[in-house]
Amino acid sequence: MTTKTSLLKVILLGDGGVGKSSIMNRYVTNKFDAHLFHTIGVEFLNKDLEVDGHQVTLQIWDTAGQERFRSLRTPFYRGSDCCLLTFSVDDNQSFLNLGNWKKEFIYYADVKEPEKFPFVILGNKLDVTERQVSAEEAQQWCKENGDYPYYETSAKDATNVAVAFQEAVRRVLAMDERTDHLIPTDTVKLHRKPRSAGTCCS
Amino acid sequence: MAAEPVQKVLFEHDGVFIHPRSDEDAIEQDLLSGSLRIVDKDGDIAVEFRPLEDAVDPSNMLCAGKDSSSVMAWAQCSGSQYQQLSETQHSYETEWDMVNAVSFRRKPCASRDGALNHGHERSRWAFTFCLSDLRSVTVKEEGWTFLLFELKESCTALPALHFHQGGSREFLDGLRRFALLSEATDDDTCLLVSCHNRALCQSFENLLDDNSFGLVHQKFRKDPYVTTLGGFSKVTNYIFDAFRGTEEQHQRPPEEVADLLGEVIQGLEINQQEEPGFEVITRIDLGARPQVTRAEPLSVEDWTQHQDPEGRMTRVPQLKKVIFKGGLSHAVRRDAWKFLLGYFPWNSSQDERKTLLRLKTDEYFRMKLQWKSISDEQERRNSRLRDYRSLIEKDVNRTDRTNRFYEGIDNPGLVLLNDILMTYCMYDFDLGYVQGMSDLLSPILYVMENEVDAFWCFVSFMDQMHQNFEEQMQGMKTQLIQLGALLRLLDLSFWNYLESQDSGYLYFCFRWLLIRFKRELSFQDVLRLWEVMWTGLPCHNFHLLVCCAILDSEKQKIMEENYGFNEILKHINELSMKLDVEDILQKAEGIGLQMRSCKDLPDSVSSILGFEADVRGSDPMDSGSAPAPRASPRRPDTCSDLHGHLRETTSHAVAFMS
Ligand SMILES: Nc1nc2c(ncn2[C@@H]2O[C@H](COP(=O)(O)OP(=O)(O)OP(=O)(O)O)[C@@H](O)[C@H]2O)c(=O)[nH]1
Ligand SMILES: [Mg+2]
Repeated sequence: MTTKTSLLKVILLGDGGVGKSSIMNRYVTNKFDAHLFHTIGVEFLNKDLEVDGHQVTLQIWDTAGQERFRSLRTPFYRGSDCCLLTFSVDDNQSFLNLGNWKKEFIYYADVKEPEKFPFVILGNKLDVTERQVSAEEAQQWCKENGDYPYYETSAKDATNVAVAFQEAVRRVLAMDERTDHLIPTDTVKLHRKPRSAGTCCS
Repeated sequence: MAAEPVQKVLFEHDGVFIHPRSDEDAIEQDLLSGSLRIVDKDGDIAVEFRPLEDAVDPSNMLCAGKDSSSVMAWAQCSGSQYQQLSETQHSYETEWDMVNAVSFRRKPCASRDGALNHGHERSRWAFTFCLSDLRSVTVKEEGWTFLLFELKESCTALPALHFHQGGSREFLDGLRRFALLSEATDDDTCLLVSCHNRALCQSFENLLDDNSFGLVHQKFRKDPYVTTLGGFSKVTNYIFDAFRGTEEQHQRPPEEVADLLGEVIQGLEINQQEEPGFEVITRIDLGARPQVTRAEPLSVEDWTQHQDPEGRMTRVPQLKKVIFKGGLSHAVRRDAWKFLLGYFPWNSSQDERKTLLRLKTDEYFRMKLQWKSISDEQERRNSRLRDYRSLIEKDVNRTDRTNRFYEGIDNPGLVLLNDILMTYCMYDFDLGYVQGMSDLLSPILYVMENEVDAFWCFVSFMDQMHQNFEEQMQGMKTQLIQLGALLRLLDLSFWNYLESQDSGYLYFCFRWLLIRFKRELSFQDVLRLWEVMWTGLPCHNFHLLVCCAILDSEKQKIMEENYGFNEILKHINELSMKLDVEDILQKAEGIGLQMRSCKDLPDSVSSILGFEADVRGSDPMDSGSAPAPRASPRRPDTCSDLHGHLRETTSHAVAFMS
């Protein structure tokens, strides 16, 4: 089993400014840059990790949160293995929008069994003192919407960021055997086309 | 209970006919006219034919699901093919409506057992099938065009569709947006269908939606060279077949394949004839790329020499050329940008500008007061203003924060950035604030160091960039399509490569175009690039040639490393801050000259670059200037003599170069 590496695509979604890019950068480069630009377009970074003895390459996709750019980001939803729905604990509106983000993802990612799809919810900016969303409220939402794991993170001081990504990986691996992901290490090709569950004809 | 499926019509053409024939009595019936559509049903692209004058009951349609085993004899399938998900339709804010409106899933009709109801005679003839189930389309001529469809796993033949009122070509072009249509090797009337990567079919369905596509499409249609973005897929496919060496190759003599490859490498031209599927491949030769050199930036002395005693700018075309060739030294920028952007008229006197400035200052502060004086109570009831304010606040904190003008916490530059963007919302409330606008303002404010001037210069810049930011992002769509046309001409093999990697939509150029390379170059280089572009020289849409120049430098790596969809995106994103502005400008200008000197330049390309206008008028690089003594034109090292068809306009451009 140790000779196999899985390539997993995860995507960070949530309102503009909740900290998606900061979370990705914290996780991949272990840095926090308060002067980071807001995202225009779509970006992704790769990160190798080991979870419960599985070698995994995470391909983390980050997009612009503003509504206007939807047509640009949605094409990249396809083939995602996991979706990290992100809000900021100091921004109630970003919390209220979680449901819309989930819906947008399910539609454009063409998820076959939305009930089973592994979402992970992140409440970011845990370090700020003026909270607008309580942990209980957020947990409640996660419970009611599909029993999703919930993490309160801080990209700024690195709290829970790695843990959240590991949980995401676990969820994906637990989904099924995922044999289609288990390919020999030496042939891992990151440009492997997103799987599209047989929707593509020859 | 049949919920009408929510679907998006991507193409529609009336006046398509079936020639019904009753098998029993062999009596020819009337032609049956109907409407042919390409629709997006919940992400699946389907073709639908419905007879006219008949409210077709969808239950009578043949449906071929993804699992083609469920295809039934047409007109035999009844019951609703669609089932609404149990999802309740809440009314969300408009922006989410679309997401809500499409939560339908198709159910294979085979699982239906509703009463068979043949309904009206006419509705028997309705049919629909998924594009992914289509094996081929055969194009036949009989004074008009008719199409025969063959499904993958169906033995039941569909009736031929007769295009008595034209439109078959548009229909096939419509299909090409979602599938590759390639000629069968043994029958050139037969187009084999293979679906694109599905992610991408849908992908740019939004970005390149129908309306815009239609418009640009119409424009390109006149031009035999460029039909549609998708129109070339066929060629791509053809070529890649040749590369692959599949069975087809056995049927094709090796020399022919080699010829083909030779053609591919040199550049190809497609002549589309009356009906699609019969494209002739001929060579288009761009000729060699002229070497150009860049010059020194315009100095303060040079600038003042172009001012008359009353402060009017003189010999403006010549001035613009110098700015195009070398940019501005920093000390000139604050003055010169106001003219380049159109805030100050070139022929205005110093006094006139003083008056203008007074008016503009008043107007600015009047608008600024409008948002400044809104009470919290009022704002609570104005969600749009609230949204704009919060977006601006977030973005100002994330724009050029390492630049000394915007760094630190209480930098006045941040306040100005915020205030100007807020005032712009009052100036153009419909547009308001869209991400990216702070990037466009930041360099302008940095150069102006003055709130009012920066605002009005920003307004002028936004006039150029407005369409990029509008709800439908029309400007982005148009530019991506135009860039595609240029790239294809420039290097067809690279273009084919991009298409083969599903990257023909050039999504990776999005950020470049939206904010004019603001994030790709160092701050100082952005200033240079922008002032050069604002001269409007040497042709229209010079920034698209800048895109071509950058891609031209990367194409070798992209193809050699065999980058795929994701890697191309990553590679392009990572070019950010690694590019050199002078290199790019030099190359872009060279490409412009190369295209201008091409004898067989497709009309679509000339119109993108505005060369048509030059033929009537003169070369913009050489326009207007009073009888400037033209140095005897030294032609750069082009192969013009080899080809012997350098255009007149080229020698003008060249004259300036020397
Ligand atoms: N205090 C604090 N600030 C954070 C944290 N994460 C991000 N930020 C700040 O919040 C702002 C937004 O962060 P981004 O990472 O740019 O947000 P985003 O979700 O990527 O936003 P878009 O790119 O516009 O969609 C930045 O100023 C960050 O510095 C955090 O954990 N704590
Ligand atoms: Mg971001």
